[in-house]
Amino acid sequence: MTESLDSAQQPTPEKRKKRNWGAMALLYVVLTAIVIVYSMPGIGVLITSVKTNEEIAKDGLWSLPEEFRLSNYQEAWTNGNLKTYTINSILVTIPGAFASIALGLLLGYVFSKLPFRGSNALFIFVVAGMFYPPQIVLIPLFRLFNAVGLYDTLWPMIIVHTAFGIPICTLIMRNFFATVPNALREAAIIDGANEGQILRKIMLPLSLPALAVLATLQFTWIWNDFLWPLIFTQSDSVRTIMIGIVAMRGQYSVAWGVQGAMSVIASLPTLLIFIFLQRYFIRGLTLGSVKG
Amino acid sequence: MIKRQRRLWTIGFISIPLVVYTIIVVAPLFYSFFYSLTDWNGLSSDFNFVGFKNFAKVFSDPLFANAIKNTVIWTVVAITAPTLAGLTLALILREGIRGANIYKSLFYLPIALSLAVIGQIWIWIYQPRWGLLNVALEAIGLESATRAWLADPQTALISVIAAWSWQQVGLSMVIFLAGLTSISPELTEAAQIDGANYWQSLRYVIIPLLRPASIVVVALAVINSLKSFDIVFTMTKGGPFHSSDTLAMFMYNESFKKYYMGYGSAIAVVLFLIALVVIALYFRQVKAVEQLYD
Repeated sequence: MTESLDSAQQPTPEKRKKRNWGAMALLYVVLTAIVIVYSMPGIGVLITSVKTNEEIAKDGLWSLPEEFRLSNYQEAWTNGNLKTYTINSILVTIPGAFASIALGLLLGYVFSKLPFRGSNALFIFVVAGMFYPPQIVLIPLFRLFNAVGLYDTLWPMIIVHTAFGIPICTLIMRNFFATVPNALREAAIIDGANEGQILRKIMLPLSLPALAVLATLQFTWIWNDFLWPLIFTQSDSVRTIMIGIVAMRGQYSVAWGVQGAMSVIASLPTLLIFIFLQRYFIRGLTLGSVKG
Repeated sequence: MIKRQRRLWTIGFISIPLVVYTIIVVAPLFYSFFYSLTDWNGLSSDFNFVGFKNFAKVFSDPLFANAIKNTVIWTVVAITAPTLAGLTLALILREGIRGANIYKSLFYLPIALSLAVIGQIWIWIYQPRWGLLNVALEAIGLESATRAWLADPQTALISVIAAWSWQQVGLSMVIFLAGLTSISPELTEAAQIDGANYWQSLRYVIIPLLRPASIVVVALAVINSLKSFDIVFTMTKGGPFHSSDTLAMFMYNESFKKYYMGYGSAIAVVLFLIALVVIALYFRQVKAVEQLYD
């Protein structure tokens, strides 16, 4: 059952015939050139982030730095509120990811293993939420959180990310549980386990790989979110990091190096996930789309 | 007895997720319909019913037509350029290239970045004086083509779309690669034994079998075009002179900058109807594909 999840990067089959050496070399050259051009934006931000203002003024953004300095990072981290933004993002992302996955797990489990009349229609109804442009509900949610006094706190982001994460989590968990044999459940029922025990003691441990996939996806989406904090927050003290770095841009409008450092710092958590858990992340992207 | 217990557990499992989903995702939709019939300004607690006035305004507002036009341009670029680039890269990287995983990772990487950060990076690329684009154009002797990409109404929209496509290429590549791994190598080999060259087996074997993946990529591109907001906001805020306004950006400005929440809700309702058509078409296609491969 974990087979489908573990084969994140299936090796290309070894069936290639010997081919034209020159054509192959050309392919590598072209591909490498494309990769370099494609990576330029990323390389540029890294270079800029270790250069001083004087260097940038003299040689422009794209020349190599004279020496490797971290002063921009220090500046970005200590001056201004980047620390607060980071803490806020953590406080939103971890609970939001956890809650959306927990709720998606419950729904996905029921849709797969405890179907009832109309549950298929309900499943489509929930999954359709994946395609929903959030602008449709901005105004009512803005009014709702104002009315209940949660405007300008971190709560609206946690709640909205939980709810908007349910469709993708439900979809992936349902497809995962579809690969778990029903016999496991039946054996546990004969042994006298109730549904709660089955879910907790049998299904939950089995679904760890799927949960890891979802954790990487949800963490990345929520961390990178920009729209909800823009709508639901006003004070600097409750800004999350993506809003924060855009807000700080005014303050550092000519300090390109500091801006670069802020971008790198803000991207670090999702980049680390991407680098170390890429298998799960990519698996999630394909599971979430291809089987939709 | 067991049946009843099972039913109780089922209700227990689904109630919380469904309540949260309904309150936050579904119910507000109806409120959007409701507000679209009012002149609510977002701040005061009272408002008047104005009937379909907001919708009349939607369909006569040149700025709305402009936002629709820009969103259509965005969609057309989205379903062609990054899709074809992703497909081409997926086909190349499938050819048993050494180090393919490193190449793949580099193309995937932008997916992990926030559109707010991507916007920031591309602002530098388009910077008039020492932005990479103008520097590169000068280096190859095309000074005449250099310009202030984001400040020029003629290029602002396409420049933002290009920045966005940078991320989208990786996404379509992921999906096409997944689609390609499900095509058995025997099929292309069989075609080659029958005398087909690479282009013929691509045209008659691989491309048709990639139909499901293509539908997903195109659907995602269309939906993401409708959602396009973050990167527009960070790069141009829809300007200059509304030249890069998308539907989502226009809705935000009318509602949260001008506080025309009634009008903003009407725009949201139109956005919903467009999304509904796309979702319906998508699910129909997916069904057709499933039937085809069952």
